[in-house]
Amino acid sequence: MQKGFVAYNNEQKSLEAETEGIKNSQTLIQKAMNWFSARSMFVVAYGTGCGAIEMPPVFTSRYDIERLGVVGVATPRQADIMIVSGYCSLKTLRRVIRTYEQMSEPKYVIALGSCTINGGMYWDSYNTIKKLEEYIGVDMYVAGCMPRPEALIEGFVKLQESIRNNTIQPGYVKYREDYAYYQANQEKLLGKETQPVYEEDYAGMNLS
Amino acid sequence: MKNLQKTYEVTQKVERLFEVTVTQTDFWEAVLYISTQTEFNTLSQIACADWIEEEHFLLTYILTTDARDKNLMLKLTLGREYESMPSVMTLFPQAEVMERDLHEMYGIGFEGNETLYDFVLEQWHDLPPLRREFDTLAFVHEHFAFKGGREDNKDVKVEQKRRREEAKKQKALEAAKQEAKKQETEKQETEKPKEPNTHATDAEETQDKKPDTKEAEDGQ
Ligand code: SF4
Repeated sequence: MQKGFVAYNNEQKSLEAETEGIKNSQTLIQKAMNWFSARSMFVVAYGTGCGAIEMPPVFTSRYDIERLGVVGVATPRQADIMIVSGYCSLKTLRRVIRTYEQMSEPKYVIALGSCTINGGMYWDSYNTIKKLEEYIGVDMYVAGCMPRPEALIEGFVKLQESIRNNTIQPGYVKYREDYAYYQANQEKLLGKETQPVYEEDYAGMNLS
Repeated sequence: MKNLQKTYEVTQKVERLFEVTVTQTDFWEAVLYISTQTEFNTLSQIACADWIEEEHFLLTYILTTDARDKNLMLKLTLGREYESMPSVMTLFPQAEVMERDLHEMYGIGFEGNETLYDFVLEQWHDLPPLRREFDTLAFVHEHFAFKGGREDNKDVKVEQKRRREEAKKQKALEAAKQEAKKQETEKQETEKPKEPNTHATDAEETQDKKPDTKEAEDGQ
């Protein structure tokens, strides 16, 4: 438990370090925009690893995160937040990248679980990525294996706070400005086709 | 079952599990016969083990009955060098994904199965990852970088071995201690009847020894 929090703090510090200056340079409109987007978070319903199991209780009556302004939504095009909930295989990563790029800005990513931070217990697996931040922009880490719903909710609250106060440089800004870096990483791992290609004919069957 | 025992040598592994071993050339005939003439008419799994030391794969087709009350393992060995098997898709359509999986993970070909393209792994250009010559750790270090903080982690297997050996040593030590105590108490017990309790000094001695024997018994 304690270890998880230490990791969380370190990760979070590394994200927040560069952003002290941004805080006070907001215009009134920006402030209003931030306030609004902090209060309406639409989460794309997409789960990658075992952490996806913790998301249903968060969204349903047990923990009911809707009271904080967080709602699930079925398509990435209307979503503001993606939760990458745990380990991410190479095949999944292609889908994650496509989902991420389909989301419109402002968009944020919460990385849930140790696997997204540094490989977690799958550190020696040939088929899961180790650091999510190399491939897409990440705004919030929630450490733990797996994190309890309370931890995820705390992650949401922290993210809302930092959006409202503008204390982090959002991942999507980094992704947009530093796209060459992210693309190079993606291509190094996945080859030229960093997004899924659906052209196979399933054993001669016509699926359409 | 009787049919099966007439034609093949069946060994019973446990109460509801039977085993038949065939050669690669006899396989098709055997699987055809078993699935049509005996009660084992459904395929539930194809398992594969890589015996790299003996240079072959061990394929196990697990067949089951309608009532799901008995299982039959149909075993055969297959060379490791990208050899192929006849596909059993015509008998069991569900074999398609199992064969596809084996093809992807071990590089085994299946003649007659037309779906042997990417399955779980997408655009995988390396060795099939479950073959044992595939070095997972080398692959990981080649393709991924880690953050700091993993320097002090220990090799799990080495650590496990060390702990196991330590526990063994501890056990051996304790066993030796108990042995020694046992022998002591036995000695005392054998000595007792030899000395008749005529002298007062003798009686005192035996009294002194009593607590020791009690402790030894407790320890056991
Ligand atoms: S951090 Fe733990 S619970 Fe989460 S995906 Fe990894 S192994 Fe599963």
